[in-house]
Amino acid sequence: MAGCLIDPSRAPVAFGRRAVPQLFEELQQPEADRRLRALASLCDLMHDPERIYQTVNGAGFLEQLNVLFEDEDSSVRTKTCELLHLMTAHSIGRQALLSSSLLPPLSQLVDDNSSSCRRNVHRVLNRLTLLPAGADALLTLVPKLMLKLRGEEGEEEEEEEVQVLLLSTLSSCSRLDALPALASDGVSLLGHKLSHRSPNIRREAAAVLMALSVCEDGKLQVCEESLLPVLVNLLHDEDIEVQANAAGVIMYTVIITTGKKQCLYLDVIPILLELVSKEEEEEEEKKKKRKSRKALVMYSLRALTALAEAPDGRRRLLEQLPLLLRRSEATEEDHDIRRDAQTAVRVINWRP
Amino acid sequence: MAFVSQSHRAPNESYTFASRPRPVENRSKYREPPSEQTHSNYGNIMYDRRVVRGNTYAQLIIPTTAQPDPVEAQRQQENRRRAIARKRAREQFRPSTPEALQGRKHIDVQTELYLEELSDVIVATDVECQTDAFLDKPATPLFIPAKSGKDVETQIEEGELFDFDREVQPVLEVLVGKTIEQSLEEVMEEEELACLRAQQRAFEELRNNELAEVLRLQEQERRRSEEKGRRIAQQKEVLKKEKETAEKIAARAYTQQYLADLLPAVFTSLRSHGYFYDPVEKDIENHFFPWLMAEVNNSLEKRYTARELLDTIIHDVTRKRLKMFKELETQ
Repeated sequence: MAGCLIDPSRAPVAFGRRAVPQLFEELQQPEADRRLRALASLCDLMHDPERIYQTVNGAGFLEQLNVLFEDEDSSVRTKTCELLHLMTAHSIGRQALLSSSLLPPLSQLVDDNSSSCRRNVHRVLNRLTLLPAGADALLTLVPKLMLKLRGEEGEEEEEEEVQVLLLSTLSSCSRLDALPALASDGVSLLGHKLSHRSPNIRREAAAVLMALSVCEDGKLQVCEESLLPVLVNLLHDEDIEVQANAAGVIMYTVIITTGKKQCLYLDVIPILLELVSKEEEEEEEKKKKRKSRKALVMYSLRALTALAEAPDGRRRLLEQLPLLLRRSEATEEDHDIRRDAQTAVRVINWRP
Repeated sequence: MAFVSQSHRAPNESYTFASRPRPVENRSKYREPPSEQTHSNYGNIMYDRRVVRGNTYAQLIIPTTAQPDPVEAQRQQENRRRAIARKRAREQFRPSTPEALQGRKHIDVQTELYLEELSDVIVATDVECQTDAFLDKPATPLFIPAKSGKDVETQIEEGELFDFDREVQPVLEVLVGKTIEQSLEEVMEEEELACLRAQQRAFEELRNNELAEVLRLQEQERRRSEEKGRRIAQQKEVLKKEKETAEKIAARAYTQQYLADLLPAVFTSLRSHGYFYDPVEKDIENHFFPWLMAEVNNSLEKRYTARELLDTIIHDVTRKRLKMFKELETQ
C-alpha cells in the first residue's frame, strides 16, 4: 500500500506517532519535489490539534522551517507559510511561533518575490494577531506593513486579499498600541483606503481608523485630515460592518471639541438618529443581523451622547428625545443598548 | 589491447588461432594509436557503420548507373588500348592460355594455401522457388500432438474468490473515513476560529463602547475642570480688583483728612518761624539797636577807662602814701 501513491502530490504518511517525524526527515531531502510533497502532507496533517502539539513539542522541527524559508523554490516557501498558517489556527501553534525564532525570517519574507508567498505570510501574521501577545510582537513590524500598504512607486499595490489581511493585522496591532501606526502617517493613508471600491477594504480600513482614533493624537489627525465627511458618507454604505466601523470612528472623534464642531457642521445627528431607530427587518438571520446591528446602534448612541455635550447638539437632540426614550425603555431586549440609551437621555437632559 | 587469444603452431600441425569473442570496437575513421581505454568504446554491432546493411544487390548497381565522365571514359579507353597492346606484345613472347571456347569464360581461382579476401567480389546466390501454379495447395492437416498426461480443468465460479461488495467495504471505509475525518477536522478548525473571532469581536465591540464612554467622560471631566479653573481664576481676579478699589478709597479718605488742617498749620508754623515780619521793626532791630548799643558801649568804655585811670591814680597815691606812712612809721 505504501508503494503506490494514491495522491501523487503528497508524500506517503507513516502511521501514528511516526508520521510527523518522518515527514520532517523527508523535508531535508535535496530535491525540491520531495520537499513539496512532504509539505503538502504536513499541511493535511496539521488540521489535527494533536499533531500540532507533536510538532511543536518535538525536537527542532520548527528550526527546520527556518531553513526552508530561504529555499530557492518559491512554491516550497509558499507551502511552508501555508503550513505555519495552519499551525497558527490553534493557540499552541501561535504560542510556539512566538517563542521560537521564526518571526524575523518570516518578516523578511514579506518582501518576497512571489505573490502567493507574500499572501500566505500575511495570512500567518493575521492569524498570529488573534493572540494578544502576538499582536504585541508584531508592533515592531507595523511601519514595514504600513509601507507595504502604501505600495512603493512603480510597484503594483498588493492585491485586494492581501490588503484586507494587512489592514486586519494592523487593526489588531493598533488596538494594543496605536502609536507606531500613527507615527507612520497612518491616518492619511487610511483616508485613501476608505474610498476603495471593495467593501472588505473599506471595512478593515475603518476598523484600523477606529483603533487609531482611541488616542488623542489620532482624533486630532482625523479632524485635521478632514476625514469626517468621508466617514459620514460611509454611514450610508450598504455593508453593515462598514457602517458600524464608521460610526465607531465618529464616536471617538466627537469626544474632542474640534470633532464635535465638525460633526455638527456636517449635520450628522439626523443620520445617527436614523441608524438608531431603524427596526430589524427579517426574521431569519435575525441573530446574526442583530449582532452586527447591535454594534452599529451602540456606537451611534455613544456618538450622540458625546454630541449632546455641545449646546448646539443638545438643543437639537432635545427635540428628538422621544425616539431615544423609546430605546431606553424596558422593552428593549438588549441590556447594553438600553443602558446606552439611558446614558444618552441623561446627558441630554443635563443642566449646568 | 588485451588479446585474449591463443595461437600456436605445432610443428607438424596447421596453424590454429583461437580467441575469445570480443565485440567490435568503435574506432574513429582516422585511427588514433590504440590506448587502454578502448574497452569502453565497444559499440553495438547493429549501429556499426562498417557493417553492411540492407540489400547487397544495390552495391553493384551504383557504379554502372553513374554518369560516365567523358574524360574518364576517354582515359579508360586509352588504358584499354594500352593494355591490349601490351598483351599482344606479351603474347608474342610467352604462351598464354588459349582463348576460351564459345560459351565459356576463364575465371581466376585461388589455389594457394593462404586465402585472400577479394573485397570487390561479392558472392551472391540467387535461390528461387515457385510452386506449381495449377496445383491447389491441399489443406494442412490439423496438427494434434500426442496426448500425454492427465487432463485437468479448473474454473473460478462466481463468489469463490472473494465477494467484492464485502471486501471493498473496509477499503471504502478507510478512504471515506479518512476523507471525512480530514474534512471534519478542517471544519472544526474553521468553526473554532470563527468562534474565536466572533467572541473577540463581541468583546471588542463592548470594549469600544465602554472605551468611548470612558473617553467621553474623561473629556467631559477635563472640560469641566478646565472650566472650573477658569472660573475660579476669574473670581480671584474680581476679588483682587475689589480689594484694590477699597484700599484706594481708604487711602484717599485718609489723605483728604490729613491734608485738611495742613494749611493753617503751615501758616502757623511759618509765622512762628518768623517768616512774616514787619520791615520797620526789623530794620530798627537789625540796624539801629546795634549801633546804639555799640555807641553806648563806647561811651561806657570811655567811662570805664576813665575810672580805671582814676583808680590807678588813686591806687598809686595811696601806695605812695602808704609807703610814706610806713616810712614814717619806721622812722
